[in-house]
Amino acid sequence: MAELSLQHIDKIYDNNVQAVFDFNLDVKDGELIVLVGPSGCGKSTTLRMVAGLEDISRGTLTLDGRNITQTPAKDRDMAMVFQNYALYGHMTIYENMAFSLTLRGEDPNVIHKKVLAAAEILGLTNQLNKKPAQLSGGQRQRVAMGCSIVRSPKVFLFDEPLSNLDAKLRGATRREILLLHKRLQATMLYVTHDQTEALTLADRIVCMSMGRVQQIGTPLELYDTPNNLFVAGFIGLPPMNFYDVTFEEGRLRGNGFEVSLIDEEKATLADYLHKEITLGVRPEDIDVGSDLPVKVFSNENLGMNTLVHGHMGEALNNRISAKLRGWTSYHSGDLIRVDFKKKHFFDKETTNAIRKEAR
Amino acid sequence: MNDERLIKLDRLRYTKNTTSSRLAILAILFDVLFFVSIYKSDVGTYYYNILIGASIIYNLVFMLAVFLGSEGVKNYKQGYSWLLVALGVIQIVRIFILPAGAHAATVRAGGVQTQVMGDAQYIRVIVYLAVSAVCLFVSAAVNLRKSRALNAHVASLNGRQA
Repeated sequence: MAELSLQHIDKIYDNNVQAVFDFNLDVKDGELIVLVGPSGCGKSTTLRMVAGLEDISRGTLTLDGRNITQTPAKDRDMAMVFQNYALYGHMTIYENMAFSLTLRGEDPNVIHKKVLAAAEILGLTNQLNKKPAQLSGGQRQRVAMGCSIVRSPKVFLFDEPLSNLDAKLRGATRREILLLHKRLQATMLYVTHDQTEALTLADRIVCMSMGRVQQIGTPLELYDTPNNLFVAGFIGLPPMNFYDVTFEEGRLRGNGFEVSLIDEEKATLADYLHKEITLGVRPEDIDVGSDLPVKVFSNENLGMNTLVHGHMGEALNNRISAKLRGWTSYHSGDLIRVDFKKKHFFDKETTNAIRKEAR
Repeated sequence: MNDERLIKLDRLRYTKNTTSSRLAILAILFDVLFFVSIYKSDVGTYYYNILIGASIIYNLVFMLAVFLGSEGVKNYKQGYSWLLVALGVIQIVRIFILPAGAHAATVRAGGVQTQVMGDAQYIRVIVYLAVSAVCLFVSAAVNLRKSRALNAHVASLNGRQA
């Protein structure tokens, strides 16, 4: 059982730079939370505060109801996996995995059992006599995870563990982390800037920007109902298309184009009549149709889909990216017509999502 | 075989034989104590200088050989145990060559006939050589016992897998 709670956490450095603003999160037992955001958004700082590697300037951190805000890192019963593996090069894999337990003075036979069990889980049994330099990046990261597993901590912390791996290995190791989470049922906090990792791994995602939490929710919630323009633009690949439009007479009028709305959308925008808003459309929510003219300037075949980039509207001055189903072979300069399926609306001033109020 | 013993045995697969290795290093240390305490600067005879030269060369070779042996036994190599045993025997034999010879020999210094090596120094260097030899023997014995147990364990594991 490991329930973690972060309440009103702030991080202010000595030079008065504030890295994290009022961070609130309750992590349930066995939950995998992914902190995602661009570089410098405060996600690693938050993780390091949880680990005890950074002081918490303000706020409270509790683990299973026990206040550990001021508890030294070694007494927090948490294990951290770093991007650069943090392995001892002169020690074998077995010795690396056993090291923390040896320091604790545990019985060597118990250490042996734990190391073999962890190696079995991670598929490292045949590598135990090797040195880290003899292993691939993925294997080294698994060893780093093994070093954490043997300690049986209450909470696992991962700080961008896959960033040093190539794309193929990243995918494989990501699946291993997911399997590991299912097997251990442990509480995990995972930091990444890669939204694919966040969407595939997380039970819940914490999306951060400029030190502030932008949205906390399941991957589907963040993808389907982003709270604001930042989340909408950050989650999803390729990113969402955004257009400045005005809501008039049941239609959205943009720079050289008009988009018709269904009744539900009109109702959502009822308070924004004659006002300027931001329209967001995901590339995968665009289909070839009859509504909006698009002049193609590139056609990227991805196998199952084709990514078409072009300019939209009468003046062809609005950039658009569309992820079309199947294999298409448009050429630069081709004129096609597209329809928007699902649309997202954002307040121009607050950048918050405009949603239909529950009445 | 009970579970604890089996785990202890299985640990040998992944841990170094540090006991044997450290004992061999200890043997080097006592050899160093031996040879730094036998040389006298006030004896300048030709034969004494030759003896010192040979002794220094031998000690360098000895230290290199024992270090090699310590690395070998660290990895449970049985052959290195026999090297350490041979070096241990030589340490015992040395007691009867240089220290014994020096203890029996006399030299005329300042008009007075004195022993090259006094009784106290003689006992001390014998202890150094003897301890060095014992370290080598124990190191070899521990390694032989562990490496045989490890080989048998690995063979049984391989047999089970096959």
